[in-house]
Amino acid sequence: MKTPSPGIMAAGLIGLTGIILVSIGAPSSRKAPAPISETSEPAPPTSVSARGFSLASTSVDLPVDDATYPDGPHADVINANCTSCHSASMALTQPALSADQWKATVTKMREVYKAPVAEKDVDAIVAYLTAMPSQKAAPATGKAQDPDPKVAPDVSGGTG
Amino acid sequence: MDNFDAELASETSRRRFLRHAALGTAGLAAAPALAQQLVDLKLPGGNAERPMTSAFPGKGSMILQRVHPPLLETPMDVFDKSVFTPNDQFFVRWHWADIPTSIDVETFRLNVFGHVNRPLSISLAQLLRLPRVEMAAVNQCSGNSRGLFQPRVAGAQWGNGAMGNAKWLGVRLRDVLDLAGVKTGAVQVRFGALDQPVVADAPDFEKALDIDHARDGEVMIAFGMNGEQLPLLNGFPCRLIVPGWYSTYWVKMLNSIEVLPGPDDQYWMAKAYKIPATPGANVAPGARDFPTVPINRMIPRSWMTSLPDGQTIAYEASIPVGGIAMGGDCGVAKVDVSSDGGRTWYRTTLGADEGRYSFRRWDGRVPLRRGANPIMVRCWNTNGVAQPMKPIWNPGGFMRGNIETTTIIAA
Ligand code: HEC
Repeated sequence: MKTPSPGIMAAGLIGLTGIILVSIGAPSSRKAPAPISETSEPAPPTSVSARGFSLASTSVDLPVDDATYPDGPHADVINANCTSCHSASMALTQPALSADQWKATVTKMREVYKAPVAEKDVDAIVAYLTAMPSQKAAPATGKAQDPDPKVAPDVSGGTG
Repeated sequence: MDNFDAELASETSRRRFLRHAALGTAGLAAAPALAQQLVDLKLPGGNAERPMTSAFPGKGSMILQRVHPPLLETPMDVFDKSVFTPNDQFFVRWHWADIPTSIDVETFRLNVFGHVNRPLSISLAQLLRLPRVEMAAVNQCSGNSRGLFQPRVAGAQWGNGAMGNAKWLGVRLRDVLDLAGVKTGAVQVRFGALDQPVVADAPDFEKALDIDHARDGEVMIAFGMNGEQLPLLNGFPCRLIVPGWYSTYWVKMLNSIEVLPGPDDQYWMAKAYKIPATPGANVAPGARDFPTVPINRMIPRSWMTSLPDGQTIAYEASIPVGGIAMGGDCGVAKVDVSSDGGRTWYRTTLGADEGRYSFRRWDGRVPLRRGANPIMVRCWNTNGVAQPMKPIWNPGGFMRGNIETTTIIAA
């Protein structure tokens, strides 16, 4: 595809708008479910197709994460509070952060994402997080420049 | 269409309830064979090792950032094989863990409502009959390469692989909006999806684009990816494609398009994914109280992919090097390469032009010295923007785009 057009190939405009306007609001009646045969081969997934492209119904199993926060003081508290929405790896893979930054993260979990974490558990969770082995930062040997370890906690925004 | 809102609402709350009830058992089921081999993402300051995994449906070998909800990163060598990223190694990124694991193509509906004359509930059979467009476009996470920020910042600790390029097949968002008839006074269009928060009252992941952007004829609803249906983890049955913009807007499992008479003021637009309103989204480390704007257009980037960082090779006077580049919100104009820390730059040859939003292959040759050779790549886009030498910093770890260095040791 060449510039400056966004590289678009449109086809078959004629009459399509008409088809859509008629068919929306009166969705085509669904097929009767396939009878279950005795020798039951699993039925092939249902599919829809038009103009040379098909979409087939999809079912998957996602892996379950049973990893917990490793043992340590207050591991029971963090495991009770910080494993329901996301894997423990979300916290375990973080770089070395200050206690203020960890506290801001836990506050964000509670206030923004509505984590059901009791106020009284916050200090224990922050204590666990700051004591994780990964928090003893190795000297910065990476590729970026400008190391400056003093960072204010960020309670706004984030993710991505 | 009368019960449209009510139906949508009850669907949503039913799913929410079911998934919430299931949460209690998480952690008890058998663990998948996840971790075999470890990969070192070489993030400054360490904690950079991640397992490789092939345990996810529709996915081959990926770098495991998080199981639940999945964050899977593409290994860099994948980008050396083709400018198109295979579907089974395309990166995966979800925010909330209530992700439907079953999609029935006959009952799925894409709903268009809000500030429109004619609310629509579009079946996939209908979507497939609309006029088609196909476009190659890079899908890159706002936080791609966050792990390389210095000082480091909190968030998903990605290396460079939270990106991919595909040929997207689908329909123009504009055509769908025109069928619904956008009313005068529309300001933004908000996009919602089948995935849901796992706790009540938490902010559902929804994103919005200005109405003119939504109607620019480039933004599309894709059901095809590199000639196949999308893997479920990349947003089956359909997702938004916002060429030239960061992935946060490319809503997966798109099922709701809501035309708004005012700006979207919900969490994911108003608070999250905000960048400093400064040149290059750059602020001094630790700065706060600067004005912010929602992240938007991408910037040029490039990588050497022909050899991995840190590779030792037998000394030769010069070696061939190659990789990929992207223009960001426009095409790639040229790519230069240096092996002496940026003092001398060599021209490279660009590969086939697959469209201005696509990755572009580059190939060149650089001289070597014995020892460590810092090989740098610099992309200039067709708007005349070149990658800067100096990395930026912002607290979200967004929009890294400086010249990247791959060190090759000639022994
Ligand atoms: C109610 C759900 C929920 C609970 C419970 C929860 N989190 Fe989170 N957490 C989230 C969401 C949503 C994100 C953003 C995920 C993403 O971007 O993929 C997140 C992100 C994070 C991050 C990444 C940094 C950031 O700011 O995005 C860290 C670290 C983290 N959580 C730690 C914790 C800890 C520690 C706890 C226990 C106090 C916890 N979480 C409990 C929902 C939750």
